[in-house]
Amino acid sequence: MSYIIPIGPYHPSLEEPIHAKLYTEGEVIKDAEVFVGYNHRGIEKLATERNAIQTLVLVERVCGICSHSHAFTYAMAVEAINQIEVPKRGQYIRVITAELERLHSHLLWMGIACHIIGHDSMFMHIWDERELIMDLLEKLSGNRVNYAMVTIGGSRRDISDDLRKEILEGCAALKAPLDRITEIALTDKTIAMRTKGVGVLTKEDAIRMGAVGPHARASGVKIDVRKDAPYSSYDDFEFDIPTVESGDVFARVVVRALECYESIKIIQQALENLPEGPINNGNKLPKIKEGQTVARHEAPRGQLSHMVVGNGSLTNHRVSIHVPSYKNTPTVPHMLRNNTVADAGLIIASIDPCFSCLDR
Amino acid sequence: MQEYKRIDIGKDQIVPVAERMRKEGKYLVMIHAFLNKEGAVDISWDYAVDPAIESYHVVGETVVPTVSDIYDTAASWPERELNELLGIEFEGLDMSKRLFLPEDMLETEGKGQIFVMPLSELREKNAGKEE
Repeated sequence: MSYIIPIGPYHPSLEEPIHAKLYTEGEVIKDAEVFVGYNHRGIEKLATERNAIQTLVLVERVCGICSHSHAFTYAMAVEAINQIEVPKRGQYIRVITAELERLHSHLLWMGIACHIIGHDSMFMHIWDERELIMDLLEKLSGNRVNYAMVTIGGSRRDISDDLRKEILEGCAALKAPLDRITEIALTDKTIAMRTKGVGVLTKEDAIRMGAVGPHARASGVKIDVRKDAPYSSYDDFEFDIPTVESGDVFARVVVRALECYESIKIIQQALENLPEGPINNGNKLPKIKEGQTVARHEAPRGQLSHMVVGNGSLTNHRVSIHVPSYKNTPTVPHMLRNNTVADAGLIIASIDPCFSCLDR
Repeated sequence: MQEYKRIDIGKDQIVPVAERMRKEGKYLVMIHAFLNKEGAVDISWDYAVDPAIESYHVVGETVVPTVSDIYDTAASWPERELNELLGIEFEGLDMSKRLFLPEDMLETEGKGQIFVMPLSELREKNAGKEE
């Protein structure tokens, strides 16, 4: 018997809106479509009426999870157009915030993935450990989301010596629970049965459809803007890009768990070698010079790009924001095919989608 | 700073460039468009030729060929968005379903106006419709 099963747009798996249509034969999904646009706020259009400092505040509201990534990327674009050099200490603080953001984002997703498969004790355990990172972000920025750590030409807040030690201790303290979480993720039978061989995206398909971030790396595609086109101070740090070949939901769990270790490594190196000097170059309200550029950043979910066009005035002529979920969401129908309806929610969630980002 | 190379091409070069990039295994980062200060549409196809971005621009054209048969959804989604929000036609692109706009806006004056109309005019047009 054939059915068309609608899922969403209200919270189909995560608390974000997307509408999926599943074309099924019995319990098997034969084809699928996804529809977005339920959270379109016209942020790109609004940016054309904002100056650079206001735009930093605006683009942070694109997403609650990767808010720093948006401010970081937009600032890099304006700095490139205006030829502004960011002081080294300011660069390091941006990177530390970005990696703390990646840690909390990955732990958030791993917790939700466990919740979706019904492993709620693991969900609570992971989110409990995530609070450690949220506390550090709050101490660093004063906020749990929308950190406002970036300004044009550097960072807005410094890291005191006490805070530096506290973040280092926090990262060290996270390692033991992270080991435990990774061990459970790798060995638990429930997780394996619900995720292995489910929602497969092959390496060839990932490249063809332009998948990015941990989603692509879980299909064996070794791409990461931090290595491929180093920016800010990422060149100063040693870290690896974990990849897994199997391309299933299980691989996406493993890649994110392993990436948490790499983020800790980067934060530790940055804090241990935090340069002396100013955190920004004192820019107040820059005019955005005539020009166009694209800045890219490896956000927690993958490559984030901001295209900025300046016309010599205080406001942006055009800001075009393209987020990792824009590339990863179209792979969902492909991954859903020949899986069961029961796995649809997990497969949709497995790309760590952010429809708030996607819709802008 | 990340390197950004602007390369201006003709409309007939869009597909050959995409084919070459795909063959070389380069990622299509994004397709962007905006109205330049002369009021002409400036469309750009940005490829990651790491560590740089090679940005291929076509200026003054509102009907261009699709590259979605080469880059699949990495191209078709931004092409559909630009069609809905800026009114650019991509020849050969399946536009039978909406991406961002509501279904009932696809065939109305709302389509293609979002980035064309100044925000003040959009606000005036929508006055009283906001909830």
